[in-house]
Amino acid sequence: MSAVQPPTARPIDFRDATLGTTVAVLRLVEPHLLADAMHKMLGGMPDFFSGEPAILDFAELAGEPERIDWAGLLSLMRRFQLQPVGVRNLAPELAAGARKAGLAVLDGIALGERGAKVPAAETPPQRPAAAPVPAPAPAAPPAAPVRAGTMIVERPLRSGQQVYARGADLVLLAGMSNGAEVIADGSIHCYGPLRGRAIAGAQGDTTARILSTNFGPEIVSIAGIYKTFENGIPAALAGKPAHVRLTGGDREHRLALEPLQLD
Amino acid sequence: MTRVVVITSGKGGVGKTTTSAAFASGLALRGFKTCVIDFDVGLRNLDLIMGCERRVVYDFVNVINGEAKLTQALIKDKHCENLFVLPASQTRDKDALTEEGVEAVIKELEHMGFDYVVCDSPAGIERGAVLALTFADEAIVTTNPEVSSVRDSDRILGILQSKSRRAAEGREPVKEHLLVTRYSPKRVDDGEMLSYKDVQELLRVPLIGVIPESESVLHASNQGTPAIHLKGADVADAYTDVVARFLGEERPLRYVNYEKPGLIKRLFGGK
Ligand SMILES: Nc1ncnc2c1ncn2[C@@H]1O[C@H](COP(=O)(O)OP(=O)(O)OP(=O)(O)O)[C@@H](O)[C@H]1O
Ligand SMILES: [Mg+2]
Repeated sequence: MSAVQPPTARPIDFRDATLGTTVAVLRLVEPHLLADAMHKMLGGMPDFFSGEPAILDFAELAGEPERIDWAGLLSLMRRFQLQPVGVRNLAPELAAGARKAGLAVLDGIALGERGAKVPAAETPPQRPAAAPVPAPAPAAPPAAPVRAGTMIVERPLRSGQQVYARGADLVLLAGMSNGAEVIADGSIHCYGPLRGRAIAGAQGDTTARILSTNFGPEIVSIAGIYKTFENGIPAALAGKPAHVRLTGGDREHRLALEPLQLD
Repeated sequence: MTRVVVITSGKGGVGKTTTSAAFASGLALRGFKTCVIDFDVGLRNLDLIMGCERRVVYDFVNVINGEAKLTQALIKDKHCENLFVLPASQTRDKDALTEEGVEAVIKELEHMGFDYVVCDSPAGIERGAVLALTFADEAIVTTNPEVSSVRDSDRILGILQSKSRRAAEGREPVKEHLLVTRYSPKRVDDGEMLSYKDVQELLRVPLIGVIPESESVLHASNQGTPAIHLKGADVADAYTDVVARFLGEERPLRYVNYEKPGLIKRLFGGK
């Protein structure tokens, strides 16, 4: 190491950077309830987030908590390899606690997030498990958004992996395994086996569909209307091209599972 | 260029260490300078299967901690000229391995002119298993023909996709191979086991071989002889085929079909 600094080198520099930051949208603050939900989402991959910095967003909180167990919340996030660095949309009377816990209060700072946020009051996400969950990072490992409206996953999705196509359709080019989960606000198109949990229309879009060339899911759901297959998949569809959509008009939505003609 | 190959599985006891020893030996028999590293800190047994446990003085962790030089810790195999074993430590805790340490050791092996580094992964999907696959160029996913093993292999494939350096740096993904081990054609025939075709259909990874279930594996490991050296044994043939396929040669699958015993055998018994 040289002791002589080149004349232009400053001891500190500041650069613009878009961090690979995850925003965790909390709808509840009780660590034990969140732990349960996160475990369901990420149980198989405790290190899904690989140490990403996270911002806790309280905009969609179900109620007004009197206090927040910051220590519990932070240790829960860290257990899932998220590093909370700040909070936003937190009620002013709770902000002091966040600061004390070492979190920055980031209201009014634009983050350049990907994907449009849907206001909670208009179309609350409907999921079969009805679990309050932090929004997963849009950038799951093997996925790359090609253009607004479609996310394409090129590699097989494995047990324990989860992909969320926020505000988009999802195309799986190499199928998915049992124990994997895909969620799309739009439709899901799966080339290859569809074997895990497939949740389309996650924000309530009843026109979303699920299409697969090799049908064998554990669960399918469209706009919160779901079907499980504990007793097996109908023989006419199992391992074959199939198509899932909602029928029955606004009141009486039901899932229709039909063979798909590929010829 | 050194190629790093991880032998991994997720599930425990499926034959990773047996495979690591046989595969590394097979590469060395084909003339490649090969090092096999035991990543199973605290549970070392690669050195037992390789029959070099009495010669272990320094181990992988000593090298990482700078307590020994790599050349001091490498043990030359007694069967193959080109093969070296880097044993694990029995006494250390699991956190003794660090990513920087592992990287430095692999870099040094590269400088020493090794063609292949074979990493024997511990079971599980935690730190140790992740470290073993972090630097892999290729992975041999060792799977027994049963549902729980298939599921764990699937998990480890996901981790390979997300945690390997190749994935992190956006390079060409780790090349995946499926190895089905402890395969019993009779039990498949009786419907007690998944067939290798089922396993491949579920995992959708190219098949590099099927290793039959064989009592001789246990004998070989008791003697400290990697299974590939067992003259005339089906496991040895099967592992030799695996190495050949890995090197790009075509070999038909052997020992995957159950032949019902003929009349004479049924009448007079015998093996
Ligand atoms: N082809 C085979 N036929 C019969 N037994 C086998 C075969 N392969 C491995 N075994 C036996 O299975 C047991 C586990 O093998 P091995 O130690 O290689 O597995 P492993 O995956 O390395 O286990 P761990 O996860 O504990 O590291 C050993 O007793 C071994 O002798
Ligand atoms: Mg082992």
